[in-house]
Amino acid sequence: MISALRFVDRILRAPLPGAALDTPRAVPHILLLSLLLTIFYGAVMGCYGGISGNRILQPLYSGLKVPLMLLITFALSLPSFYVLNLLLGLGEDFGDTLRALLSTQAVLSIVLASLSPFTVLWYASFTDHDSATLFNAAMFGIATISAQWRLRRYYKPLIARNPRHRWMLRLWLLIYAFVAIQMGWVLRPFLGHPDLPVSFFRPDSWGNAYVYVAEMIGHELKR
Amino acid sequence: MKNAIRALDKILRGDATRLPLLQQGTFDIPAGGLLGLIVVLSMVYGACMGLSAVITRWSDPTRNMGFQQLGASVVKVPALFLLTLIITFPSLYVFNALIGSRLTVGAMLRLLVAAMSVMLALLSSFGPIVAFFAASTTSYPFMVLLNVIVFAIAGAMGLAFLLQTLHRLTIAQLWPPTVAAVPEPFVEDESTVPAATPPPLPSGALDHLQDRPPAANVKLIFRIWIIVFGLVGAQMSWVLRPFIGNPSAPFTFFRGRGSNFFEGVMGTLEHLFSASSR
Repeated sequence: MISALRFVDRILRAPLPGAALDTPRAVPHILLLSLLLTIFYGAVMGCYGGISGNRILQPLYSGLKVPLMLLITFALSLPSFYVLNLLLGLGEDFGDTLRALLSTQAVLSIVLASLSPFTVLWYASFTDHDSATLFNAAMFGIATISAQWRLRRYYKPLIARNPRHRWMLRLWLLIYAFVAIQMGWVLRPFLGHPDLPVSFFRPDSWGNAYVYVAEMIGHELKR
Repeated sequence: MKNAIRALDKILRGDATRLPLLQQGTFDIPAGGLLGLIVVLSMVYGACMGLSAVITRWSDPTRNMGFQQLGASVVKVPALFLLTLIITFPSLYVFNALIGSRLTVGAMLRLLVAAMSVMLALLSSFGPIVAFFAASTTSYPFMVLLNVIVFAIAGAMGLAFLLQTLHRLTIAQLWPPTVAAVPEPFVEDESTVPAATPPPLPSGALDHLQDRPPAANVKLIFRIWIIVFGLVGAQMSWVLRPFIGNPSAPFTFFRGRGSNFFEGVMGTLEHLFSASSR
């Protein structure tokens, strides 16, 4: 436990991703840490509808879904990012790039977990479903922004080595966001609506976030 | 296979198209092996594409059609690339010779195969993302547009590679290697480089050679070429459609003749923004 906390502290304070990842087996450790922390936040998130009776399933489901969302998004976005890095002549730096991206994932999950007490307080204070959804969106927003801020710092030496890394940083955010938005949409519900029975997937959620938005725009334009 | 993958890696990293190497006349890539790899990669991407038909028809009595579409897509994507190669190669060779390049037929073919392997490496690396959207999306127009965008990115990168390599090959033939052009031994250890001089930027396969902008005739070849290749590729994909399979129509291996790629894309775009696209 103590050594895990020390590991977290090292990741948070490390100026470069390499400094936190220089110990042997650091990569599995960092993945395990991200997994546990995101499971923790997901479980807290799913407690919205209470944990009595059948409702206890929602925290379990959400505890699975949040890490699924983050890890699968990471895994899906990586291949194309790797090939583009190779093509632009940045193949030799990819080890450092990968370390930076992994550490950023860890930072994201650490920040998210550290925000979970606020979520508990919010659930204890208000019952409205929409505002709870918005509150969680805000927490994810804060965690994403802090992680991105950290990723920029990790990228500084890379950009100093080759300015082209700046574009690759933006490209990574673009690909990651494009996949993550749809992933979050597909994996709904995370909170569980109090009036609906608990389910792993929402029966009508099998759709596309972007199509939904495009149809809304089209609908507005037609009026 | 291993050889081909290693060759593809070298092409992507730009190691296969370094100027000193080309000046010694060694644009030597295993074209046959790479062609095999291209077929494999395009089959993988075809499976990612066709997945959407299987998913949308899963709970339908027409589930078989989904699998038929998947099989058809796996065959059609390699066919698309190979047929485009066959159709465009003669004219590329003829124009290239007309303009005074001294590239042989073999070198030309290797160059095209290399550019195509760049395209497919990128295309298949987008495969997981496309497969994920195919699995979670029931909207047919969205899948069509996503695939058009991915193909366009891969195609643009492949053509950029083609331009740079064409340019380097021309330079390599105009300026045969001199004593000074012999590659210096590569310094592996970065610490031996003095701190005052920053290490030279690693140049990728798509980079301009700094002192020599592309020659006018290379640009001309390329301009003709990007039009020919893009048009033929796009229209070939239209002739071979459907790749994804409209969930509201029965499965057919080909559709009737008529219309063209660009009209089709515009129609799809309109469809996406209308509420009836579900």
